[in-house]
Amino acid sequence: MRYTAFTSYDIILLAQGLSVSLALFLATTIIGLFIGSLWAVIRFYRIPVLAQVVAVIAEVLKNSPVLVQLFLVFFGLPAFAKINVTPVEAAVITLSGNTAAFVYVIAVSAIESIGRDQIEAARVFGLSRWQVLRRIIAPQAMAFAIGPLTGLLVNQLQVTSLISVIGVVDLTKIGNILNLRTLKPFIVWAVVGGLYYVMAKLVAFGGAKLEKRLRAHTAWKGL
Amino acid sequence: MISVRGVRKAFGSATVLDGIDLDVHSGEVVSILGSSGSGKSTLIRCMNGLEKLDGGRITIDDFDVSRPKELSEARKRSATVFQLFNLYPHMTAVQNIALAPVEVLKIPRKQAEADARTLLDSVGLSARADAFPAQLSGGQRQRVGICRALAMKPRYLLLDEITSALDPEMTSDVLAILAKLAHDGTTMVFVTHEIEFARTISSRIVFLDKGQLVVDLPTAEFFAADGGMAKPRIAQFLSKMRKD
Ligand SMILES: Nc1ncnc2c1ncn2[C@@H]1O[C@H](COP(=O)(O)OP(=O)(O)O)[C@@H](O)[C@H]1O
Ligand SMILES: [Mg+2]
Repeated sequence: MRYTAFTSYDIILLAQGLSVSLALFLATTIIGLFIGSLWAVIRFYRIPVLAQVVAVIAEVLKNSPVLVQLFLVFFGLPAFAKINVTPVEAAVITLSGNTAAFVYVIAVSAIESIGRDQIEAARVFGLSRWQVLRRIIAPQAMAFAIGPLTGLLVNQLQVTSLISVIGVVDLTKIGNILNLRTLKPFIVWAVVGGLYYVMAKLVAFGGAKLEKRLRAHTAWKGL
Repeated sequence: MISVRGVRKAFGSATVLDGIDLDVHSGEVVSILGSSGSGKSTLIRCMNGLEKLDGGRITIDDFDVSRPKELSEARKRSATVFQLFNLYPHMTAVQNIALAPVEVLKIPRKQAEADARTLLDSVGLSARADAFPAQLSGGQRQRVGICRALAMKPRYLLLDEITSALDPEMTSDVLAILAKLAHDGTTMVFVTHEIEFARTISSRIVFLDKGQLVVDLPTAEFFAADGGMAKPRIAQFLSKMRKD
């Protein structure tokens, strides 16, 4: 006879899944933001070879399904390069790369939105490329990109649910486990979905707040 | 001194500067006149290292702008005011002015911002010190642009048609500031269409035509009845300007 009732232990299970999903989301967001912005800077300075390589990688990553990328890393890498990857490692690599590709696209257009003439002005006043990047380009690009980035991250949060298929015990996987045991799919998936919803709303809320702050000190018209 | 020797610049097949020689000594105000497209802006952009020369040499106090290692010294000695202001839109007036002093001259921020406020005060903008460029009128923006240049305590000011985007009232505000700078002995290279004003502040007038410096004369000689302005090409230019 199977035990189909919910227990208080299930809440702990859900909390565990939730924290795994959240941790993976945060880690891959940070890595993806860093790598994607770095790629955009490489492109902005037209660094030979690297700029082309980066463009191709981003192109491939954003035009193929995340699930396929995940399988490629998790099953393909061990078979091809004899590197063993754990499910969590495969998840971090894949999701970070995917986030990076989209951050790259957003960062490139954000940087392109900045008038070249002010960059020239800063150079004429003696600022180095690095100082221009830090003081002129980054703050304005951030104000411009924060909206699209928030949208991206809300989406990437949902995408983390894919990693359950290679055995990472995230929120979706816990949902699966609970569902199989309780045979109450409507309740289980409604609760799991609700938790994703709350997380997504928190991301969106944080993004909106940050956007307000980044733009409050840029009272420029037309953007 | 700024020394321009045999400078050539082409964009594709179009030669825009065709062997320019020009010296600007300390304390001089040299006005550059010339019709639109004659290469005035390009010459300024060559002086501040924004364009690569295709020939010749420009030095500022003996620092060669074509040598990357010397360019930063050359740039510390000169400062540019731009036709379209080119302010940093995400920074207030004070921040615009203090940025380069802090980052390049390594002046402590507090000091640099206090200096910026003093400069803004001197151009009648103390009330707008914390406004962003988008909240300022054109004339106010250009005054911030001038303060930004002056904050670097440059030996040479490069000014490229800095009033041509302004309406007459704002223009006179900005020109009044230049008159004072000239009076104080500031060295300036002044690209302009304000001929009467150029006459009052310039030590020399040069005339650029299709990428060549066709006239380089002390102001009085330039405006003498039989001087530079008597040349047909320049007479034509001047009469057209005076009509506008
Ligand atoms: N970056 C550029 N690429 C191609 N042509 C340019 C560029 N900058 C200027 N030119 C051309 O060079 C000529 C001189 O321009 P410019 O120096 O701006 O003249 P001015 O300031 O006297 O009006 C013009 O014909 C202009 O079209
Ligand atoms: Mg011009």
